[in-house]
Amino acid sequence: MSVKKLDQLIDLAKTKEKKKLVVAYGQDAHTLGAVSKAVDLGFVDVIIVANKEIVEKVCKEEGIDPSKFEIVNEPNEISAGRKAVNLINEGKGNMLMKGLISSDNYMRAILNKDEGLLPAKATLSHISVFEVPTYHKLLITSDVAVIPAPDISQKISIANYLIKTAHRLDIENPKMALVCLSEKTNPKIQQTVDAAIITKMADRGQIKGAIVDGPMGFDLAIDQESAQIKKFNSPVAGDADCILWSNIEAGNVFYKTVTKLCHAELAAIVVGAKCPAILSSRGDSTKTKLYSIALAALMA
Amino acid sequence: MKPIRSLDQLAEHVQSSCTKKKIAVAAAEDSNTFDAIVKATENGIVEAVMLGSAERIRQLCEEKSFDPAKFTIIDIPDELKATQEAVRMVKAGEADILMKGLVGTDKFLKAVLDKSAGLLPAKQIMSYVCALEIPAYHKLLFISDTAVLPFPDLNQKIAMTNFSIKMAKRFGIEKPKVALIGASEKVSLTFPNSIDYAMISKMSQRHQLEEAIIDGPLDVFLACDKESVEIKGVKTAIDGDADILIFPNIEVSNAFYKGLMLFAGAELGGLIQGTEKPVVVMSRSESPKSKYYCIALACLMAEER
Repeated sequence: MSVKKLDQLIDLAKTKEKKKLVVAYGQDAHTLGAVSKAVDLGFVDVIIVANKEIVEKVCKEEGIDPSKFEIVNEPNEISAGRKAVNLINEGKGNMLMKGLISSDNYMRAILNKDEGLLPAKATLSHISVFEVPTYHKLLITSDVAVIPAPDISQKISIANYLIKTAHRLDIENPKMALVCLSEKTNPKIQQTVDAAIITKMADRGQIKGAIVDGPMGFDLAIDQESAQIKKFNSPVAGDADCILWSNIEAGNVFYKTVTKLCHAELAAIVVGAKCPAILSSRGDSTKTKLYSIALAALMA
Repeated sequence: MKPIRSLDQLAEHVQSSCTKKKIAVAAAEDSNTFDAIVKATENGIVEAVMLGSAERIRQLCEEKSFDPAKFTIIDIPDELKATQEAVRMVKAGEADILMKGLVGTDKFLKAVLDKSAGLLPAKQIMSYVCALEIPAYHKLLFISDTAVLPFPDLNQKIAMTNFSIKMAKRFGIEKPKVALIGASEKVSLTFPNSIDYAMISKMSQRHQLEEAIIDGPLDVFLACDKESVEIKGVKTAIDGDADILIFPNIEVSNAFYKGLMLFAGAELGGLIQGTEKPVVVMSRSESPKSKYYCIALACLMAEER
């Protein structure tokens, strides 16, 4: 059964082998609250690299039993980030999460050439899974946070990340839309050329495991009626599982629109590193954090 | 219309179903093309206006025992002036087809391409399409570009594709199968042609080209041999049954057709594309048969629809 709601991410994660989550500088109430729930739900064990005193103090305030975590004492933010990454490299954890550490320091620890988590030539990118109340299934979308303007090579990597994510959600042959302004190709608009290349690569089995089509407008990807009105014939039309955005602005505006105006919930992770990494912001709900942990667990 | 499947069928079709065309031959005192013109005249598919040195045209007629009265001869001994007059006649509608005789290709094309007096509309891409008959293939194979565009860019490839499709349709092939030829069927970012082909296939899917079944990159095996398609397990709507091959550059297409003519007994009819009216330019080395087919092809393409 494919995952159709974000709650089912947790259900599915519970059926898999338990994963070990390393939290970089996890000493704030939001992070500790979310990881505590994840531990209670039983799909992860947690190592927290942070100021032990503060962790214990916050746990007490929040009514969390700190003994459910393994705590590695590291009061310095930057060192905590590095130590968390080291634990992953030593094989002591298989997923990473950002706590109170700044996004910059967190990413720097991941991207560090000698001691980081990025394999040579790998593309570091970002995947979100949205539950939008008005859409009939989950939407797995590409980078809204890491690569501003992916080139064709990066888009090919991203397409594969999207497919892998769908597969981990038990969506067997996901439909992927390469979203541009419209379905027309134009040699002068590079995004449409990229879309033509990616679809042909999928035709030729160079990108496997999905039904891929593009370019197409976002309306055509998610709305059957628009496709009918525009007489747009595509195996993806109106029923997309995955959306590959042309650039970060498109994805970011979508993300903010559906979460703020359409009551959408999401899970999001950074992909391409040795392990999935959660890059949540303080603005994210506890639900989003928990869903993201479940998504990371499924990807790990 | 029943599809034309061979060059002889083309010649028969033109003779039986097309109106007689007026062909203006520039610098017609050309022993290389003379036999083809004579045959086309005798078969009644053209009425030839021979522009050039009247003296030498009559001399050729005598050598070949052909009655010069069957031609309209216009005496313009200067090859460039003869060409310009031939172009003028075609442009003015006094003739239907232009043909190159004993004039250098450079001079000839200069007259054809002249901005105000020539036959190529502004911004129009000029290209070349051949209908190739290969004894080992079950039908005609249209190929482009073997003569005009050396290293076509994407837009030129699109034009080549559209011209070829239009020509195939004139042969009664309703939905031609177009294979975009490369060295393999894979898309590779290091092979710019494969990227152009991905784009052309997608444009066709989105109905931005002449209606046809288009796929590429494909190699010649996958384009023209069903067995290879099965062995390789490549999913392609062309399925080893291509009507049209679009080549990445002139060196490939040239070697392809010349190899087939030399080693496999292939014949061809070819025509410049993009001009207001058909323009016949044939190489001296082409066989007498192929030269005749070029004229027949021009007659078919000049036919009003």
